[in-house]
Amino acid sequence: MIDDSLLMPALQGVHLSRSFGQGEMKTTVIHDVSIELFSGQITLLMGPSGSGKSTLLAILSGLLRPDSGRVMALGHDLWSLSDLERERFRLRHCGFIFQGYNLFNALTARQQLEMVVRWGEGASARDARRRADEMLALLGLAKKSHLRPTELSGGEKQRVAIGRALIKEPNFCFADEPTSALDWKAGQQVIELLRSAAHDRGATVLVVAHDARIIEHVDRVVHMEDGRLWIQEERKPVLQPVKQAR
Amino acid sequence: MASYSLATLWYERQRYVPGVLAVAFSALLIALQCGLLLGLFSITSIPIDHTQADVWMGASEVLSVDLGRPIPESTLARLGVQPEVKCCEIYMQGFAFWSKPKGGSELCMVIGSCLSRDSLGKIDKLTPEQCGMLAEEGAVIIDESDAKRLDVKLGETAYISGQQVRVVSMTRGLPSLAGPYVLCSIPTARKRLPMQKGQTTTYVLGRCRDPQDAPKVVERLNHSYKDVSAFTQSVFSRRTQLHWLLKTKAGIALGYAAALGLLVGAVVTWQTLYAATVASMREYAVLRALGIPRWRIAGMVVSQSFWIGIIGIALALPAAYGSAWAVDRMMGIHISLPWWLLNSAAAVTLGMALVSGLFALYSLRQIEPAMLLR
Repeated sequence: MIDDSLLMPALQGVHLSRSFGQGEMKTTVIHDVSIELFSGQITLLMGPSGSGKSTLLAILSGLLRPDSGRVMALGHDLWSLSDLERERFRLRHCGFIFQGYNLFNALTARQQLEMVVRWGEGASARDARRRADEMLALLGLAKKSHLRPTELSGGEKQRVAIGRALIKEPNFCFADEPTSALDWKAGQQVIELLRSAAHDRGATVLVVAHDARIIEHVDRVVHMEDGRLWIQEERKPVLQPVKQAR
Repeated sequence: MASYSLATLWYERQRYVPGVLAVAFSALLIALQCGLLLGLFSITSIPIDHTQADVWMGASEVLSVDLGRPIPESTLARLGVQPEVKCCEIYMQGFAFWSKPKGGSELCMVIGSCLSRDSLGKIDKLTPEQCGMLAEEGAVIIDESDAKRLDVKLGETAYISGQQVRVVSMTRGLPSLAGPYVLCSIPTARKRLPMQKGQTTTYVLGRCRDPQDAPKVVERLNHSYKDVSAFTQSVFSRRTQLHWLLKTKAGIALGYAAALGLLVGAVVTWQTLYAATVASMREYAVLRALGIPRWRIAGMVVSQSFWIGIIGIALALPAAYGSAWAVDRMMGIHISLPWWLLNSAAAVTLGMALVSGLFALYSLRQIEPAMLLR
């Protein structure tokens, strides 16, 4: 018998709507969308270009304010928080991976990760270095910690970006097209790392992607088209306990 | 933050070179402009700075050493009775016209002083032999750089105020601003300076047993006598330089040029930092998405502007010394670069770089993490 408390969503979007532009140019991108995401589960949000996937991800992650609706995350109504509170929420609970790696060209792989914990958590230089090295080792980049982005392959750069997102052990990990700039072998490695973040660390992972090959690597698939959710495929039941907020 | 800023500045140095050079240019311009000003106007106080008097007494409210008016020689006694004063003597200085041997005239500055070994008013560049030569009536010494201007060679004669003079020697390192210095004895000067009639002198000089008593002596003299003014050596030197600075408005002209240089430096540095920040917009947006506070990112930009300032100043300082040496060597123009001037130029330039960094922060307002998802 499954404990109902294990089925509580860690992140919940309720009746979300968002438009861009005004007057005749106004375009509704999200039409009354509701979605639930669970701790320890990796969810793939799929759909054609312009379907509103990235916009929905931005709203759920606290980056873009919806026109209407609520986002509940770990018991917080995300969009009723002040900008500063929402920034602190993201700092404590959210990791992001984007299509473009967006790494600082001048900094080494280690420094890219150190910066997040030193600036975000005020960690000491020694502690930041230790955590960065541990994460890079987990990502298979231990021997490349001293290299800069121009010296890394696309897959390695994306792994550094993942490390930057996960080093602070976030409750939520949002990935927008994380494999689109990579070959499939590198892309598989990236998806496996995100799976590990969900299954091994209990994070709530939401991946936005076009690539159908990712489907068999995720726990749940949500289809989106024209700003509406159409199909939700539950590939694996939710059995992971909800990770308590830090 | 400093290590990340420096790493970025070094790795992307080509991007930041314009900013660094702009700061260096500003610092160099300020230092050289002010140094030129100092060097130029320090010439006006040569008769004060290169003599040995602690106290100068002259006409009431005399503005500059070259604008002295006749005062009674009896003023000597007023200074001599001061208990702190060891010795005193008269000193003459004034403008006169030098009639060139081949025609034409030139304004010159006649300086007549005692020429004994312990003389207070003797220019320190004169050797004992030269002082001996000046004992001859009409003997004068000029700076070799002025020989062409006065159209005279060593041993030749000319006229000052209708009185013949003979150039018995030349010296070096006595540049002048208004008119060439013509060094001579008191009797020679008295006959060539038209305003010196009767028992008058231009200044009375005094030396204290303890130089630190000079301010006290000056204060007492100024309090006791209203028809003359007394100054310490340093005060009179500064007063002379300041008078020339304000009278000629050269300070304003050079200050304007320095301010323009500062403005150019500020704009280029600001644009360099602005462009660099915009170029890293997406990276900063990721940090913002991760919840890194905006002030941290702002701190990195300001830190970069600080290091650009430091590196620019470090480049400017040796360039300033090198330029000053070259100008002095090639053109004989002295550019004075005391430590306080260089520190001030560095401080002003560093402040300018930091302000540029603050202006560059405006670009951070454009950073919105959601833009990464469009």
